[in-house]
Amino acid sequence: MAATHEHHPQAKVPTEVLDGAVKEYSRDRLYVIVAVVLTAITAVEVSTYYLTDIFKDRFLVATLLILAAVKFFLVAYVFMHLRFDKKVLTTIFYAGIALALALYLCVLTVFRYWTPDFSAIKDQMGL
Amino acid sequence: MASTTFEQAHESGLDASAESFHPVHDTNTGISNTKLAMWLFLGSECLLFGGLITTFLLYKHPLPGQGPGPKEIFDIPFTSVSSFVLLMSSLTMVLAVSAIERGDHHRTRAWLVATALLGSTFIAGQVYEFTSFYREGLGYTTSRFSSAFYTLTGFHGVHVTVGIIMLLSLFLLSVKGNLPEHKAETVEVVGLYWHFVDVVWIVIFALVYLIP
Repeated sequence: MAATHEHHPQAKVPTEVLDGAVKEYSRDRLYVIVAVVLTAITAVEVSTYYLTDIFKDRFLVATLLILAAVKFFLVAYVFMHLRFDKKVLTTIFYAGIALALALYLCVLTVFRYWTPDFSAIKDQMGL
Repeated sequence: MASTTFEQAHESGLDASAESFHPVHDTNTGISNTKLAMWLFLGSECLLFGGLITTFLLYKHPLPGQGPGPKEIFDIPFTSVSSFVLLMSSLTMVLAVSAIERGDHHRTRAWLVATALLGSTFIAGQVYEFTSFYREGLGYTTSRFSSAFYTLTGFHGVHVTVGIIMLLSLFLLSVKGNLPEHKAETVEVVGLYWHFVDVVWIVIFALVYLIP
């Protein structure tokens, strides 16, 4: 079906039909703030590579996973406009992520990634 | 009806000259079919990259005697700079979307070119990385690690390259005057693809490069 606004190519969009898109703040300022936050998080991520005394083993893995998740959702929420757009789009995207995570967990489980056997195999291989 | 709301508001002069907008479309979901299709595509792409990342995690460690492993070969400072470049390209992309929604075509073109240049820098870095790895003895079939690594990062690189082509196409359309404000959604949809490529790299950078 044709998009409504295509019938009014010169029309500017009224506030009432923006599905909550217009806020008091400047969007561009928000984008720059988010970019600064993303840069700071990336700096922390990279620092874990050097600060090996502080970030060890499971703490390192947990830290990096949390930081990556924060960056991921910041980009999706603000830059990809999930914050401002229809909720159904959020559902579609997160459904894809949930399926991907399910796939990820299933395959790793099938390959006995979580069981002691996997460690034993790694030890035998000298890994 | 959404279209009635739009027309009523338009005729009554409630023009907000919004800096950004997501107009209600005359579809069942209120979202344009193009944007919905792109989001569905991105949802399916999550599965593609999920599979590739899983494969990499399983084969991350090469068997003994099968060439270098991640620890010996990765250049974290270099990849960190590449990651930063791609991250900043997301900012320039969203600024391009913002500019066209305001009808600022000059800035739209500038941000589109900036995004394409940052993407090209990332790709150039990846080509350099692949070349240096190959010189250090890590070919595509050297080990299960190398196959999984090149497949994952190569697929991502192809996605970035396709994104650059789309950005340059938008730039040319804009130069020729074929990208007016009411087609801002075209830029937004390409932007969605570009941001997705960025979020995938966020995951790859953490899982592949940083987690030992």
